[in-house]
Amino acid sequence: ALFAGNRLLKGYRGGHVVIRFAMGGCTNRPFFRIVAAHSRRARDGKYLEQLGCLDPLPNAHGERVAGLNLERLRHWLGCGAQLSRPAEKLLGLAGFLPLHPMTVTGAERRRRRAQETVVPAADVSPGPGDAF
Amino acid sequence: PPAEGKAAKPSFTDEAVQNLLYRMTGLNLQKVFRPVKRALKPPKYKLMTEAQLEEATKKAIEEAKVKLIMPPVLNEREPIDDVLAEDKFLEGTETTKYVFTDLTYSVPHRERFIVVREPNGVLRKATWEERDRMIQIFFPKEGRRVIPPVIFKDEHLVTVFQQDRHEDILNMCIAQFEPDSPDYIRVHHRTYDDIEKHAKYDLLRSTRHFGGMVWYLVNRKKTDGLLIDMIQRDLLDDTTSLITLYHMLHPECQSAKETKEGKLQGVDLIKVFVKTESQKEGYIQLALQAYEEAMATSTAS
Repeated sequence: ALFAGNRLLKGYRGGHVVIRFAMGGCTNRPFFRIVAAHSRRARDGKYLEQLGCLDPLPNAHGERVAGLNLERLRHWLGCGAQLSRPAEKLLGLAGFLPLHPMTVTGAERRRRRAQETVVPAADVSPGPGDAF
Repeated sequence: PPAEGKAAKPSFTDEAVQNLLYRMTGLNLQKVFRPVKRALKPPKYKLMTEAQLEEATKKAIEEAKVKLIMPPVLNEREPIDDVLAEDKFLEGTETTKYVFTDLTYSVPHRERFIVVREPNGVLRKATWEERDRMIQIFFPKEGRRVIPPVIFKDEHLVTVFQQDRHEDILNMCIAQFEPDSPDYIRVHHRTYDDIEKHAKYDLLRSTRHFGGMVWYLVNRKKTDGLLIDMIQRDLLDDTTSLITLYHMLHPECQSAKETKEGKLQGVDLIKVFVKTESQKEGYIQLALQAYEEAMATSTAS
C-alpha cells in the first residue's frame, strides 16, 4: 500500500508527450498498441491514452488490421505530441499524414538492390525520386 | 422481376402499405409469445380478476406490436470503388495489405473511414464486406459473427427449409447482415421462394417477416398460393387487403381498373381479381366454392 503510492506518483524532469507503439502479445506473436505517453516512460508502461492498435501478423483474409482513433489523435497532436518514426510511417501509409520520406527512400533502395542483383554490370538506376 | 421504382409506385415504407401488411400479419398472441429457449426459471402464476386479465392482455398486445415491427426492405447496395491515392513506387515494399479503421466513437458506422493500402501502393476505400468485418471486430454487435456462418450458403439453406425453421433463419439473417447487403436479400428471397413453393405461409404468419414476404410476392405477382391459403383459413379481410395492395402496386392491371370503376367489395373483388390476374384460376375458384358452401351450411345450421 505505501510503496504503490510512491510508484504511481512518479515525476520526471523534462520529457514530452509522444505517440508511439507499445508492444504486447506473447512469444513470436507481437501486437502493438498505438499509445500517447510521456517519452521518459517505459515502452510498455503507464500511458496517457490508447489511440489504436496494430496487428502486424496477417489474418485469415491476408490483411494486417489496424485501428486508429483519429479524433483523439488530432487532439493529442493539437496538444503538441510528437510521433515516433514507425508511428509516422504507419500514419503515412494510412493516408492521415503525407507519406514519410523514409518509406519512399526505402522503396527506392529496395528496388535498386533488386536491380543490382539482376543486372550487376552497367547498372544505371533511374533518376532520383523526389523526397518530400 | 419488376424493380421497385420510388417515383410513381408506392414503396415499402408508405403508411397505407404498412397498414395493409400489418393487418395481414395477424396477431396470434400464443405464437408471438411462445416460449423462447432461455435459461430455465420456474413459472409464475398470478390470480387475477377479469378486469386485470383484460389489462394484462392489452399490455401484451402493445408489446406484441413492438415485436412485430417489420425489418426494412431496401435495394441492394452499390459496391464501393474509390481510390484515394496511387503511389506506385511503393510496390514490393510490403507483401500483405493494411486495413485502417477509424475508431472515433461518435461517428455512425455508415460514415466511418475504412481504407485499405494494397501491396502495390494503391490506397482505396474498403469494400462493403471488409467494412462489415472491421466494424464487427472493433464494435461487436450481439448475435453477429465476424465471418458469416456457413448456414447461409445455398446448399445448407435447403437443410434448414426441410426442418421448417424459416423464421429462425430469418432472425439469424437479420442479426448477421445489413438490410441492404446482397447476402441478406439473397437469404430472404430464397426463404420466400421456398415458402411459396411448398405453401408454408402459416410459418411466418404473426411474425415480423410476414410483411416482407407479402411485399416480395406481390411485386413478383406470385400471390395465388397465398390467396388460396387465406381463403382456406377463412381470412376474408386479409384477402381484400392483399388485393388492395396488389392494385396499389400494379395500377395498370385490368382488375384494378374494374375495381375502381365498380367499387367492388369482398367476394366480388376476389372474383374479379381471380378472373383477370391469377394463374391458378381453377384452384382459387374451388377454394372460394368450398368457403361459400361452408358459410351457407354454418348460417343454415
